[in-house]
Amino acid sequence: MSDLSRWRWEPWVLLPIEPATPAMNLALDEELTLRVGAGERPPTLRFWSWTASCIVLGRFQSVRNEVQEENARERGVEIVRRISGGGAMFIEPEGAITYSLYVPAEMAVGMSFAESYAFFDSWVISALRSLGIDAWYAPLNDITSAGGKIGGAAQARRGGAILHHTTMAYQMNIPAMMEVLRIGQEKLSDKGIRSADKRVGPLRQQTDLPRQEIIDHLIAEFGALTDLRSGTLTDEERAGAEIRIRERFGTDAWRYILP
Amino acid sequence: MHGAFKTPGGKLVQVDFDLEDEILRNVEVTGDFFLYPEEALTKITAAVEGSPADMSMADRTTSIAAAIDPGVEWLGSSPEALATAIERALLASLETYE
Repeated sequence: MSDLSRWRWEPWVLLPIEPATPAMNLALDEELTLRVGAGERPPTLRFWSWTASCIVLGRFQSVRNEVQEENARERGVEIVRRISGGGAMFIEPEGAITYSLYVPAEMAVGMSFAESYAFFDSWVISALRSLGIDAWYAPLNDITSAGGKIGGAAQARRGGAILHHTTMAYQMNIPAMMEVLRIGQEKLSDKGIRSADKRVGPLRQQTDLPRQEIIDHLIAEFGALTDLRSGTLTDEERAGAEIRIRERFGTDAWRYILP
Repeated sequence: MHGAFKTPGGKLVQVDFDLEDEILRNVEVTGDFFLYPEEALTKITAAVEGSPADMSMADRTTSIAAAIDPGVEWLGSSPEALATAIERALLASLETYE
């Protein structure tokens, strides 16, 4: 199957950008993934908007090993855990561009897991290049550039659907990040560099465009690749996500599932 | 006790445990790897729990690999990477107490 026929498997829906709490953003990811898996929603693209700063931990990370909890508390930075693996991110509302793709698993049929990571971010690489940013995909899950790492993707698979979400740095507050995260030397061991701030290349360092214009450009690129239509969240989906916050994403049991 | 190993070009695996009578207890395996399905982590952790500290690297790798069911995908890390993180934790503890 060609890449283009995968992208045009069926029409896509673009959700409007709505500010949401960190927990709500994560709950929506799980809810919408399951809806797509159940055939109740077409493949969907959602760009995130954040109401608060937070640390988003990967599914398999330990709070203790990744977060300086007291510093996070003092700064009012919430700690949340997503359903996908990968690394911790420190998010400030205007500092990141995050999007989620929710697709039926059949769309990635015949691809290895690793291939599907690169595939689902391929349109972003094209979009960044057309903005004059020399970006490329660095397996397994990084979007990187001549100016440093821009972002990373993570996937979860649930009930016949794939959640592929990616966060790109727009503007980074490195001092705050170093205060709230623990970034060990082992993590940097194969990068040939000694500090976290030298390996990142946030978009703002590579283009003068405001954050929203980059998002608009990404959406235009996606719309040229796919049959993309505007849609909305249903009331049932909102209610479903609220339940997931109460039962999982807002609870300490989930946050500290790996303490 | 804590050890970590980053697979070159891959992800970090970390292990925390207590050593009681030369046996690994209260084992936690964490990291920024990807694992499908997620529940596979329980079996991987259980394969390390209760293992003797003097187990060889090869035996450790084999016993972790045996806990990974067919069809499980562990991206960015491996049984060998986890065994290495454990060895590092044990070595660090020797250095502390010598």
